Amino acid sequence: MFSVEVSATPGSVNVQTTSNRGMNSEEIALNAVEKIISISDTADPVIKAQAEAFKERMYWVIVAACDQSIKSDRTTLYNIFKSNGHDNVAEILRTL
Amino acid sequence: MAITQAMTTSFKQEILQGIHNFTSGSGGGTTTTTGSGNVFKIALYTSSASLSATTTAYSTSNEVSGTNYTAGGNTLTNVTPTTSSTTALTDFADTTWSSSTITARGALIYNSSTTAGTADRAIVVLDFGADKTSTSGDFTIQFPAAGASTAIIRIA
Repeated sequence: MFSVEVSATPGSVNVQTTSNRGMNSEEIALNAVEKIISISDTADPVIKAQAEAFKERMYWVIVAACDQSIKSDRTTLYNIFKSNGHDNVAEILRTL
Repeated sequence: MAITQAMTTSFKQEILQGIHNFTSGSGGGTTTTTGSGNVFKIALYTSSASLSATTTAYSTSNEVSGTNYTAGGNTLTNVTPTTSSTTALTDFADTTWSSSTITARGALIYNSSTTAGTADRAIVVLDFGADKTSTSGDFTIQFPAAGASTAIIRIA
């Protein structure tokens, strides 16, 4: 008699919430790196250290990219509000 | 009433019946012809909900209601199934309810496509471990890394 055992287990999600604000670049970047790279607890220490260093570097690159993206989007929104006569809203956005 | 994290038993049976297609876009298929991926959604539930491995379908009973939450939940973005070593796995992109005021204790991932004559088949029950609340903010579900020992849905 032969049998093949197959296991199907769900992974664990992480839930993040905010109050009276959206997520900032640091929080989004942290999510992104956790999604891109996962480091095994049992990995070789040298490889683990390299992976941790890479993860740290990646985190700051993503933070910078998010900041740039936010600024760029605000420029777009600024122009949309301004061209529709909402100068005060545009100014608030610009000074954020 | 309780929410117990599990891959539903009905889903395990339905895998063997070839009912679900997690492919992103066209590809895969449940017949001899190439099909296209089904639409998967995630719905949030309060702590009053009863969800477990025995859940077979999406239900509105004790589903969350709140600002900027629509019954049925968010549509997920599939990631085409892949393999890692001897494990088959699939993943979804993180999902966010923006500018929301929500309190949820768990969630249900389900297949909203009609497959083999039935829609809203339950896939995975998620237990957040405690109530999670967003107040005029973001409610984000971050799926784990798509690895052999971490992915949200994996068959080893």
